[in-house]
Amino acid sequence: MSNFSVLKSEYGAYVDTLGEALERGDETAFFKAVDHIVHLREPKMFAEIRKLTGDLQKALDRFSIESRLADLAEHEIPNARTRLTHVINMTDEAAHRTLDLVEQSGPLAERTAREAAALLDAFAAFRERVPVTGFEGIVRSIEAFLPLVRAFEVFLPAARTDSEQIRRNLAEVLLAQGYQDLTGQIIRSVIKLVEELELALGNLTRLSGDMVEHATLGENPSAGQGPVVPGVTKGEVASAQTDVDALLSGLGM
Amino acid sequence: MSKDLKFLVVDDFSTMRRIIKNLLHDLGYSNVTEADDGKTALPMLQAGDFDFLITDWNMPGMAGLDLLKAVRADAKLAKMPVLMLTAEAKREQIVEAAQAGVNGYVIKPFTAETLKEKLDKILGAGK
Repeated sequence: MSNFSVLKSEYGAYVDTLGEALERGDETAFFKAVDHIVHLREPKMFAEIRKLTGDLQKALDRFSIESRLADLAEHEIPNARTRLTHVINMTDEAAHRTLDLVEQSGPLAERTAREAAALLDAFAAFRERVPVTGFEGIVRSIEAFLPLVRAFEVFLPAARTDSEQIRRNLAEVLLAQGYQDLTGQIIRSVIKLVEELELALGNLTRLSGDMVEHATLGENPSAGQGPVVPGVTKGEVASAQTDVDALLSGLGM
Repeated sequence: MSKDLKFLVVDDFSTMRRIIKNLLHDLGYSNVTEADDGKTALPMLQAGDFDFLITDWNMPGMAGLDLLKAVRADAKLAKMPVLMLTAEAKREQIVEAAQAGVNGYVIKPFTAETLKEKLDKILGAGK
């Protein structure tokens, strides 16, 4: 059956009744027939409205995803670039600081080892020399031992100074490893951004279907925001420990 | 000052925990336990006899600020000295931590001297 013949079978009888009532001048019958026709039309009208609403909803969803994407492209991706550049700078700085300290410590340790070895050799030679007995022998022993004592007097303070310096350098190396924590936090925030981007793009391509998930990246300040990134972090920040101390003492701590 | 104090160091980065642990060793504190976030740390604090808590702020699971609040809300732990050692440096965050009852606040990157100074200050104040 064609569409029009469906219409004809649905509406035909009422249109006939309508025509007859008009001819008869029967107002009650006329309006009754009109009511019937309106009732027939209603479900189709609602279906149309539903379809329109659905289309409108999709358009709005698309708009919200697209504007979020525009926001990501305009602000957060350049921010992420700045963050990652900061990561490179921090790792670079930490690596150089560590290398400098290692390069500085190596020669100190080598010098101590070299001088200790020379002293050990001299000491072994002293022990192995041909023993001479009597007073003269004792005097010779003392004479042979004196240069060793002088060498020890020079070596021991130098060894102590060098070891202390190496220990300090090691402590500095230890502290320099803190970059891993700070850069890790920044990289995590960039990963989170990439995840959001992925989700928003996925939603955009899925929009032909009915499922639309909204990407959310709510910032929760009490969960912490990670290290301060120059040019990205907004608001008043403490740039040094002295700022923190001043702020806390201002609060009575 | 007693060097037998039992420390709990809470940070999600193992490198940072190692750094803090090493620095505490250098300062003579050798009784140091580690936890990687607030969620792991809280039951350890409740079960153990810790004397001092050093915590990061930004951690997955339970953040340091929430850990601090949980410690202050727990009758048994309420008086425990807490040092916040964090990269969070916004003014309002420092104020928030102070209001939550933190005893000291050190921002990363930090120096061995700063850590020592804050520890001495907190431990000195508690005597």
